[in-house]
Amino acid sequence: MLTVLITGLATGMLFAAVALVYNVMYSTSKVLSVTTGHISMLGGVFGAYAISVLQLHWTLGLLAAVVAGGAFGALTELLAIRRVLNRSDEHLWLLSTLALATMVQQAAGLWWGTEPKPFPRLIPQDFGVGVMDQKFWLPIGMTLLMAIGLELFYKRTMYGKVFMAMSEDAFAAQARGISTDRIRLMSYVLSGALGGLAGFAAGQLTFAFFALGLTLTLNGFIALAVGGLGSNVGAILGGAALGLLNAYASYWFGGEYQQTIAVGLLMIVLLVKPEGLLGDRQVRPV
Amino acid sequence: MTNTAQLQAVSVSRAFGGIKALDDVSLELRPGEVHGLIGPNGSGKTTLLNLLCGFYQPSSGVIHLGEQDLSQASVQMRAVNGIARTFQKPRLMPMLSVLDNCMLGAWIHADAGFMSTALALPHVGAQELDIQARAIELLHGVGLGHVMQRQASLLDHAEQRFLEIARGLAMQPRFMLLDEPAGGLTHQEIDHLADVVRTLRDNGIGVLLVEHHTDFVFRICDRVTTLNTGKMICHGTSEQVRNDPEVIRVYLGA
Amino acid sequence: MNSLTHTHKAWLLLGGLLIATLPGWAGDQYQLHLASLIAVYWILIAGLNMVVGFTGQLSIGHVGLLCIGSYAFAVLAGKSGWHPALALVASGVLGGVCGLALGLPSLRLPGFYFAMATMAFALIVNDLVLAQVDLTGGGIGLPGPLFPAPFDSPSGFYYLVSLLALGVTWLSWNLGRHMWGRALISIRDNPVAAQSVGVAVFRAKLTVFVFSGVTAGLAGAVFASLQSYITPDTFVFELSLFFFVCIIIGGRGSIIGPFIGTVVLTALPELVAPLAKLGNFFYGLLLLVVVLVVPEGIGRVFDIIRERLRPRVVHREPISPDLARLDRALKYKP
Repeated sequence: MLTVLITGLATGMLFAAVALVYNVMYSTSKVLSVTTGHISMLGGVFGAYAISVLQLHWTLGLLAAVVAGGAFGALTELLAIRRVLNRSDEHLWLLSTLALATMVQQAAGLWWGTEPKPFPRLIPQDFGVGVMDQKFWLPIGMTLLMAIGLELFYKRTMYGKVFMAMSEDAFAAQARGISTDRIRLMSYVLSGALGGLAGFAAGQLTFAFFALGLTLTLNGFIALAVGGLGSNVGAILGGAALGLLNAYASYWFGGEYQQTIAVGLLMIVLLVKPEGLLGDRQVRPV
Repeated sequence: MTNTAQLQAVSVSRAFGGIKALDDVSLELRPGEVHGLIGPNGSGKTTLLNLLCGFYQPSSGVIHLGEQDLSQASVQMRAVNGIARTFQKPRLMPMLSVLDNCMLGAWIHADAGFMSTALALPHVGAQELDIQARAIELLHGVGLGHVMQRQASLLDHAEQRFLEIARGLAMQPRFMLLDEPAGGLTHQEIDHLADVVRTLRDNGIGVLLVEHHTDFVFRICDRVTTLNTGKMICHGTSEQVRNDPEVIRVYLGA
Repeated sequence: MNSLTHTHKAWLLLGGLLIATLPGWAGDQYQLHLASLIAVYWILIAGLNMVVGFTGQLSIGHVGLLCIGSYAFAVLAGKSGWHPALALVASGVLGGVCGLALGLPSLRLPGFYFAMATMAFALIVNDLVLAQVDLTGGGIGLPGPLFPAPFDSPSGFYYLVSLLALGVTWLSWNLGRHMWGRALISIRDNPVAAQSVGVAVFRAKLTVFVFSGVTAGLAGAVFASLQSYITPDTFVFELSLFFFVCIIIGGRGSIIGPFIGTVVLTALPELVAPLAKLGNFFYGLLLLVVVLVVPEGIGRVFDIIRERLRPRVVHREPISPDLARLDRALKYKP
C-alpha cells in the first residue's frame, strides 16, 4: 500500500520536473515545446550509456545526462524556435518542435534500441528495500532541489531576474538592451540541463527507454496544466496529483486506464479552472 | 425599408485591472449619420469601439441596439445583428484573393449548410454567384476593382484598409465602426475614403469614425464625441465640438 | 476558390485516367496493394485536411479515430456478422460520434493544449483496445473482413476504395471552394476577424472535426479489410504524424497538395529502401525542413520557381472608388 503511494509520488515528481522545464522554456519564449519530454528521455539514455556501457563513474554519467539535455535544449531553441518565432503564423513552433521530437525519438531508437534497458544503481543498495529504494527517492529529491534551485535563481541572481523580465514583457526587455535571443538560448540550455538531470534521477524508475519522450511530454504537460502554467509550485502540486492519481488508479482498476484517468483529470481541471490551480488568468480559450 | 434603431452605449465603464479605461461614457450612433470619436492617445476611443463590437463587456452600463440589450452578446452575435467593424491594423486572410476576402463578409447571409455545401446542391452554387456578383460591385465601389484576383498579402496599406471596408459592407451592416481608417493614407486616399463614407451614410448606414485626423473628422462627421482619459468631455455637432474650449485645450491645441 | 482552368482540367483528366486504369498498368499485386493503401489513407487525410489545412486545428490524434473505425468494422462485419456495407457505414458514424466526443471539450483549448488532448486521445484509444480483450482480442487482434464480390479481389477492392476516396475528395473540394472554405480559412488565419464577420468559430470547428471523424471511421473500415488483420500495434502514434505531415507538406488550404503529399509520402519509403529504415525520422526531418523553409507547403516552392523564371510585374494603380457602383451595391437588397 505504501508502495503505491511512493511510486505515485516518484513518478509524479518526474512529471513535475518536466513541468518545471516547460515553465522555464515558456518564460522566455512563450512556447510550449513538444521536445520537453524527450530531454529527460535523453538524460536517462545517455546516463545509462555512460555508466552501463562505458563503465564510467556515476558522476560522469550525471554529467553526460546534463550535457545531453542542455545540448538538446540548445538544439531545440536554435533549430525549432528561433527561426519560427518571428513568423506571423503562431503555430509553426508546434510543428517544428513536433518534427524535432520525432527525429530525436527515432534517432534514439535506432542508436539505443527499442527495448527499455535497466538503469544502473547509482548508490549501492539492495533491490529488496521496498519503499526506501533510491529509485523513488532520487526523483523526489531531485525535483524538489530543482524547484528550490529555480526559486533561488529567479530571486537572487541577475540572470534569473532577466529571465523574469523577459517573461513579463519581452519587447520592453529588448528595449532595455537585453539580447532576447541569447537569453532565450540560455533558458533552453538551462531547462535542458535540468530536464536531463531529472531523466537521470528517475532512470531507475522509468528504465532507459527511447519512447519515453512522448509520454513525458504529455504527462509533464498535464502536470503543468493542472498546476497552472507559469507556477513552479503548481508544477509540483500538479505532478504530485497526477502521479498519485495514476498510481492509485492502476492499483484499483489496472494499468490500462492510466492514460484515460490522467486525461480525465486534465479535462476536469480545464473545465473548472482553465488556468490551472495556481496559474494566472492568461490562458484564455478561444 | 427604414430602420431607425440606434446603437447606443449608455453610461458604460470599463476597467482593466486597476485602470479605468472608460468612465461613465454614453454615445449614440444613429443610422444615416457619420459620428466621429476623437481624443488623445489613451482616452479610451478604441476601448469604446471594442465595447460596441463585443470584444469587451462593459464593467457597468449597457449597450443597446434599438430595444435589444446587447451588453453580453458575443462579437459574432453583434455581427449577425448588423454591426461591422474595421481594425486599426487590418486583419485580412493573406493567402486568399481580394475577392475571396471580400466575399467572406457575406458569411452571415450565406445560409448554405455544411452538408448542402459538401454535396454542392444547386442553391449553394446560385448563392455563391450572387455573393460573388455583389462582392465584385462592392470592390469596384471602393476602388479595388483592379486588384480583385490579387493575393491579399501583396496589397499595400491603403488597399488593405479599403478591402476591410468592402468586407464589412458585404455583411450588409446597419452600422460600420471604423478604427482609424485614415492611418497611413495619402491626402488623395483620404479624399476617396471621405467619399466612400459619405456614400455609406447616404444609404442609411450609421458610421462610427474613430480617428486622429481631426481635419478629416470635422470635414465629414455630422456629430462628434470627444474623450479624454476615459471620460467624455464634449459631444455635439462638428462645429460645436471643434470650437469647444475644453476640446481645444486638451486635444486640438491653440 | 478559383474555378478550374483548362490546364487544370487536362491534368485532372489524365490523372483520373491513370487512376481508373491502374490495375491494368500496375506492376504487381504489391503495387496494387500500395495504391489501395494510398486511397485508404487519402480517405482519412481528405477529411483531416479540412481540420488541419483549412481550419488550422493541429490534431495529431486521428490515428485513434482510424483505430476505432477499423475495430468497429472488424467486430461488426466479422464477429457480429453484419453485411460489410452496413458495417462500413456504422464505422463512419461511430467515427463521427467519437470525433464529436473528442472535439467538444478540446476544440475550445489553445493550440498546444488541443494538440496534447488529441494525442492523449490516440493513446487512450490504444490502451482501451488493448484492455477490452473480449471485444477486440486485446494484443492478439482481429481479422479484417473482406467485402463481398465484386470487391473481394484486389482490383475490385481497389475500385471500392478509389470510389470512396473520390467521393470524399469531391465533398471536401466542394466545401473548400464555397463560403464554408472561406470561413474555415478565416478561423485558421485570423480568428478575431472571423468572429467579427459573424463566423460561429467553435461550431464551425466542431462541424469540420466531426466530418473528419466520419472520414476517419470510413477509412478505418476499409483499412481493416485491406490489412486483413489488425492489432493495436497497427495504430501507432507515428501514423497520426504521417497523416499530419502529408497535409502540411502538401500545403494548407488546398486539396490537390495534400493528395500529392499522401501519394509521395506513402510511396517513397517503398521505392527508396534506405528511407524505409529511417522510418519516422525521415517524416520528422521533412516536416522540420518544410516548416523552416516553406511553411506554406511544397506547392509554394513551385510558385517561387515560377516567379524566378517569369517574374510577375505588379502594376500599382491608385485607388479610385466608383461611387455610383457602390451606391447601387448598397441599395441592392437580395
